[in-house]
Order: sequence, then C-alpha cells, then structure tokens
Amino acid sequence: MAAPSLNESELRFLRALLRRKVRFMVVGLSAAALQGAPVVTQDVDLWFEDLGDPAIREALREVGAAYVPPSLLNPPMFAGGGVELFDIVLTLHGLGTFAEELGHCIEVPLGRHRLKVLGVERILASKRAANRTKDRLAIPVLEDSLSVQQVTGRGQTSP
Amino acid sequence: MSVKRNNARERWAAQWAEQLMKSVRAVLAVRPEADPDNVRHTLILLEQPPLERLRKSLTRGRALAQRK
Repeated sequence: MAAPSLNESELRFLRALLRRKVRFMVVGLSAAALQGAPVVTQDVDLWFEDLGDPAIREALREVGAAYVPPSLLNPPMFAGGGVELFDIVLTLHGLGTFAEELGHCIEVPLGRHRLKVLGVERILASKRAANRTKDRLAIPVLEDSLSVQQVTGRGQTSP
Repeated sequence: MSVKRNNARERWAAQWAEQLMKSVRAVLAVRPEADPDNVRHTLILLEQPPLERLRKSLTRGRALAQRK
C-alpha cells in the first residue's frame, strides 16, 4: 500500500488556520520541499507565534482534532482529525523571533489563502545551528537548492 | 498513428532533457561546488506546484518510516 502524502485532513486544517488568520509558518524540511529542495520528510513542522491563540483550538475543532499541551514527558502536539503529523515547533536554533523570521518567508497559495513558508536560506541557518546528525545530512542538499534559487531566480516569491 | 505519437513524445523528452541539462550547467557554472544531482532534482521539482513538491517529499519520507 502506498504511504499517505499530504492528505485532505491536513489541507483542511491548514485552510482552517489561514481562514482564522492564525499567525504561523511552515518551517523545517517540509518548508524546503515546498520550495523545490529534493529532501525527504515525514512531517510538517509548524511554528506558531502564539500557541495560546484560541483560533488554533477553533481550527482544530473544525477538523475534529484537539491540542495536547506539553507535559514532562511529551512535547505539545495535535491529536485526532488526521492532523497528528503536524509537529509543533517551539524554538528554532539560530533564528530570530517569529516576527523577525516572518520577513524571510515566501508565500505559497493554498486555495484563497497564502501559506507562509520560511525561506531556504533561513532553514539552512537553523540546520547549521542545530547541528544534529540529521541536520548535517540535509545541509548539502539545502545549499545546492539555494544555489539553484539564487542563480535561476526560481522558487522564490516576494515576502 | 502510435509510432507518430511515440516519435513526438521522444522528441519532446529529448528537448526537455536538453533544456534541463542546460539549466544544470548554468547553475554549476556559477556554483561549481554544487552537486549536479541535487541541482537537477531541484530544477525538476521547481517545474511542479509547491504542494505537489511537498506531497512527493512526504510520500517518500512516510514510506521510509513505514518500512522501519
């Protein structure tokens, strides 16, 4: 059986967040993939400016999901509604504040809305700062994709 | 009829590949340290819509996770 890719529940959740004007951005390798980097990832990392924003819970309710707050053993996560594979990002190594990084986002159309996606250059900065084994593996691919963007001007959209 | 269609498809494929490799060489001319495969794959993915690029990445990633 083929593995599921970004499915309708996940798209519905993203649209529900955007419709409610929740301030968030896609970060990590899924953000790089949206910009053409040939990377492989299992989840979609979302960075929210304010996890306490009630509109996040409303969007979750709309798709039949719920927020699970962090505990000693678990990070914060979403459960139910087919949105479990969205990872909540609380901090990104080597980057500025949410508001600062918003200026480094590109916008990807999603229906009537526009999804904020962190630019490859900033994803690279976070991978270099985090410096885990999996980050080091992704760095050369991200560097080469950034080269393609810079030389051809493709894959970049105005913030 | 089908021979003609095959010929047209092969001509289109050859032109597409030629154009792609021209773009790869243009990037490598500026960034010789870049890996040609990464450059080629990025250029191919950039021909597709962003959500399709993400779908491909997730399909491979989740397939790998299922195999573990």
